[in-house]
Parts: sequence; structure tokens; C-alpha cells
Amino acid sequence: MSDRRPRVVGFCCERHASDSATLAARSGKEWDASVRTVTVPCSGRVDGLMLLRAFEDGADAVFVVGCLEKNCYYDTGSIEGRKRVENVKSMLADLGIEKERIEMFNAASTNPWAFPQAANKMAEVARRLGPLESGGESK
Amino acid sequence: MTGTIQVVICRCCVEKPALIDLARLEAVAAETELVSSVVISEAVCDGKGATDVAKDAQAKDGDRAVVVACDKKDFDPALLRAYRRAGIDELMVEFLNMREGVVLPHARDNERAQAKAETMLRAALKRAMMLKPLEMETEEMRTRNVVIVGAGVAGRAAAETAARAGMHTILIEKGDRSFKAPGVLMTRAKVVGGKGYPGNYVLTIKAGEKVEELECAAVVVATGGGWTTLKGPLAKACKEAIPLYRLHEQVTAGAVPKGPIVIADTPDPSGKSLRVMDFAWEEALETAISLKRTHPQTDVTMVFQEMRAFGLSELAYKEAADMGIRFVRYDKSGAPKIDSKDPTKLTVKDLAQGELLTLSFGTLAFASLPANPDNKDIADALRIPMTPEGAMRRGSIQRWPVSTPRPGIYVCGSALFPKTAEVAKAEGEAAGAMAARFAISGTISFGGVVAEVTQEKCSACLTCVRTCPFEAPFIGKASKVEIRKQLCQGCGMCAGACPSKAIDLLHFTDDQVREQSRVLLGGDF
Repeated sequence: MSDRRPRVVGFCCERHASDSATLAARSGKEWDASVRTVTVPCSGRVDGLMLLRAFEDGADAVFVVGCLEKNCYYDTGSIEGRKRVENVKSMLADLGIEKERIEMFNAASTNPWAFPQAANKMAEVARRLGPLESGGESK
Repeated sequence: MTGTIQVVICRCCVEKPALIDLARLEAVAAETELVSSVVISEAVCDGKGATDVAKDAQAKDGDRAVVVACDKKDFDPALLRAYRRAGIDELMVEFLNMREGVVLPHARDNERAQAKAETMLRAALKRAMMLKPLEMETEEMRTRNVVIVGAGVAGRAAAETAARAGMHTILIEKGDRSFKAPGVLMTRAKVVGGKGYPGNYVLTIKAGEKVEELECAAVVVATGGGWTTLKGPLAKACKEAIPLYRLHEQVTAGAVPKGPIVIADTPDPSGKSLRVMDFAWEEALETAISLKRTHPQTDVTMVFQEMRAFGLSELAYKEAADMGIRFVRYDKSGAPKIDSKDPTKLTVKDLAQGELLTLSFGTLAFASLPANPDNKDIADALRIPMTPEGAMRRGSIQRWPVSTPRPGIYVCGSALFPKTAEVAKAEGEAAGAMAARFAISGTISFGGVVAEVTQEKCSACLTCVRTCPFEAPFIGKASKVEIRKQLCQGCGMCAGACPSKAIDLLHFTDDQVREQSRVLLGGDF
């Protein structure tokens, strides 16, 4: 189990975050292949359960990428997203899981390095902290 | 309902022999149940490719599709049109961005890219299976009124244009000037509130002492600039000063402005009431150059804190200097002052020489002007965003120069930034035409990706009501939350915030998102 590759899942908003990832790929940036991206319409769409379920399903690190807070497509979406992530952070601390395993990032659609940086950072965190031994017993 | 999935793999986006084996992707798709056909297309965004794909879908009687290609936003609408003709709704087509998801970013990771691509395809297939057809609804607009706020140059132009297009126009004017206008003219009236949604706005208008509600399909904001509210020591000392656009107008019309001419960046050098506007420098340079061209004898001096001539304007700066236009740079230590005894003399400490300069002028023009202070009330009432300068914010300058982020609300004239009557009139005509075009359709279309409430779970805690920036959720008659679909933008913030999980966002339901992440995490790569 311990020698398996890290599993990281990133919830990207359909607006700036996805555009930023697309731009990054087109600008020749590369990022860790362990990062899986799930597109949601807005980073405010994620909820605590969704993020915790990702850990349950085998993620070693989870991150959320939204628009810049002052330039969010849905006005307050990325602020909402950050709230959810902070909330889950405190839940993880209660569960005895390192709270670095979840993080919120903001990206502008014109910024080609924001997404790769976030992805590589979280892959690094997952690698450093090792696999999370929760294994999805409860559903 | 049985759904069969058509899988389309675009060779143009996905094929990269050393990295991704198309045959194995095809096998993954083929072994999934419900997949009726796997099409490998040379290029899906090519018109012929799109038609062939749609034909295949129709022949196999599929009702959903997974397109493995590049970014969804790059797709030619032709593909979606072709699918619609084949009976597959736009929302039933799941796009998998394989090019920017795997091919480009993992181009050097040969051993993992294939496994990742296969996992992503499995996740997309899973999601496609879970997609449900969504219905769009339409509603008739209750009226086709176009309300124009402000009866200045821009407002009147907007009213005339909208009226020519057959709309009933209502002009709302704060003052009591009366003139012949198409439709209805309400004087001494102002907008104090607004609700509703694009196509069916309800404005609260205070006319004199009376408050009334006005239904309308579209709104044009033409509140004008704030020249009359100009503040600052320079403006106070010199009553004859003019805005830069007025000087520009005079020069263009061939009138000889009273010289010598001083163009100051702002009437308030301390920056307390007004900050220097971004466009001030370029406009000032342009005006000064055309003035000097037509009247070479006139003395032109530009008094600026800093000259920011962006890009090619740098050439204009050089040209202006070559023509003999004088530039005086100052800072807070020696801000320009107007002689209290003789209001045609301006003293300023020139930074280049470090000495006090006294300039006599015939005309003083200011390059930065305040925005209309009424803008804030109107922006609050109509919930449209403002710029830091207090003007209305508009859409993309190239594509939506008179639109606001809210559909059905348009903005024109000096409400955007100070400008000449001519430009304001042109903008007014554009805004009037846009508003008329919006109102003329008569129907509003909504639905699709919107939030949905399971009322049994709702405890009316108001979390969603407070979270939604668009005011879509409200407490209905049953004391449970309902969603006003016309206002819902499909962001899903309410669904994420709901503590009882009573709200779900269609097309991105909890199950759909969760399954997708579960399948993605299940892959070993």
C-alpha cells in the first residue's frame, strides 16, 4: 500500500480554474499525473461531504481551485469555496488527519502557472505525508 | 428510460502514438455496457466530422454522447447543432478534455498517460450514464417596455432608437426639463429600487412624492457624468474651466479656444475627491496634438503628476514634445494653485527645474472628471457592478461595449466615463437598439442547469437565501425554500451551502460529482 502512487483530486471551477488549466497545458506547462481533475460549475459548489467523500474514496490530498476572489464569475463563489475548504480543514484536524491534505487555490484564467503550481504542490504534499489509510470502509 | 452512449474520439486532439493508444481507449469504451458505438473521427470540429458523428448517433438511436477531444469551450457550435438535429440535447453530451488533460501536460510521462486517459474515459462514461435530460422553460414577457434612466443626450438617443424599433419607451428624468420625447417622459423621478429578472424587471420609481412600480423588459442606464458635482481647489478657483472632452469638441469643430491653454490632469491634485483616470493621459495628448496642428500659434501646456503614455501613445508623447507642447510635471510638494486675485494665473512647481512657474491661461481643461454620484443608488437598485471610480461597469469593450453583466440592462453615455455629446449619442443609439432587440423577442428562456429543492428535507434555515448572490432562493408558501429558476445561474453555491442537503444542482448533482471523483480515484496510475 505504501509504495502506491499518490492520488490527488482537484475540484476545478468551470470558469477561471478550468481555463487556467487549459491555458497552462497549451503554454507547455506540465504537472504531476497523479492529479485528477473534476469540473464543477463553481468552487462554491463543493461541499464538505463531497470533499470528505473524496478522501474516503482513496484520495491522499484534495484541492479546490476557484476564480480570484475579487473577480469571481459568480460574484462570491470562490469565497464560498474557501469557507467550505476551511471547514473541512478543521474537521480533518478533529479526525487526526493532517490538515495540509486539503487546500484552496485561486487562479486567473490568464495565469498559466497557477494551476500547475497548485497541482504540483498538492502532489508533493500527498507524497510527503504518504497514503491516507482510510480506505473507504464506511459509505 | 434506456440510454445508449455514443463515444467519439477525435484523432486530431487525442492521437499521439507513443503516448496514447487509441485502440485501447476504444476497447475501454466498447466493453462498457450501454455504449452503442465508438466513432474515431479525424476531427470533430470539422463540419463534415460533426455531421458524420451526428448521423451515426441518429442511426444507433443514441440519446447521449461522450466526446473525447479538447476543451469544451473551443468546440464549434456546429457539433452541438448537429447533435441537436440528431435528437441529442446539448447537456447530454459529455466533453472529455483529453488534449489539455493528458496529451499536453503529461507529454513526457509515457507510462502513466495511457492509464490516466483510460481512467478519465471511464469516469466520463460513468458521468454520461448518470446524466438526465433537462428541460428549458419559456415565459412570456409581461410587457415590452424599455425604461431609460436619464434623459440627457445618450438617454434621448436611446429612447428614439428603441421607439423606432417599435418599443414603448419610458424616460425617467431626475430634473424637470421637458422636451418632446417618444413614449412617456417622467420628470422629477428617480429609480429607488428594482426586482425581477431579465425580461420582467419591476422598478420602483419615486416621482415627486409618489412611489410607483413600473414593469419593464429592459433598462438603459444613461445617468450622465458628474461635471456639475466637480470638486477640488482648482475647480473652485477657476469657474471657467472646462472638461477635456469639451475642449476636444471645440477643436474638432474648428472653434478657436481662448488661448493660452493649460490641460491639468485633475481638478483635485491632492487626490482626495478624485483620482486621476487611466485614460486621461492619452486623451489629453490626442487633444493637445490636434489643437497644435490646427492652431500652431497657440501655447499649450500640460500640467501632470505623471504622464502614462501606454504602448504606441509613447509616439504621441514624442510628437507632442516635438510640436512644442510644454509638459510640466509636479508632485504633492508643489501642486498647482490658482491665484486668488487673478483667476487666469496658475502657479506650479516644475519638478524638472525645481522652480515655481506661473502660467497665464485663457482656457483651463481638466482631464479627469468625477462620475455621477447618483450612479451608486441606481447600481444598488438594479444590482449592477460599478468601477472603482464610481461609474457603471460594462462588458467586454470589444464585444459588449454598452452591456452590463446583467442581461437586459444596458448602459451608455457619460455613465461609463466622461465623453463628448457626439460619442454619448452614438452609444445611446447602440444601447437603445440593444434594449429593443432584447425586448422584441417577447419570451424569456430559462432552466437547464439550475438548483432543485427537495422540500421534505428543507428546514427553512435561510442559508441558501443568504448565500445566493442572485437572490434566486426564496421561502415559498409552504414555508420551504423554492428556487426562482429565472434568476438561477447554475453555480450551485446553495447546493454546497445547504446543511440539510435539501438542494441539489441539476447536471452537477452530488451523486454525479461524487461518482466521477470516485472512478477517477479508483484508477491506478
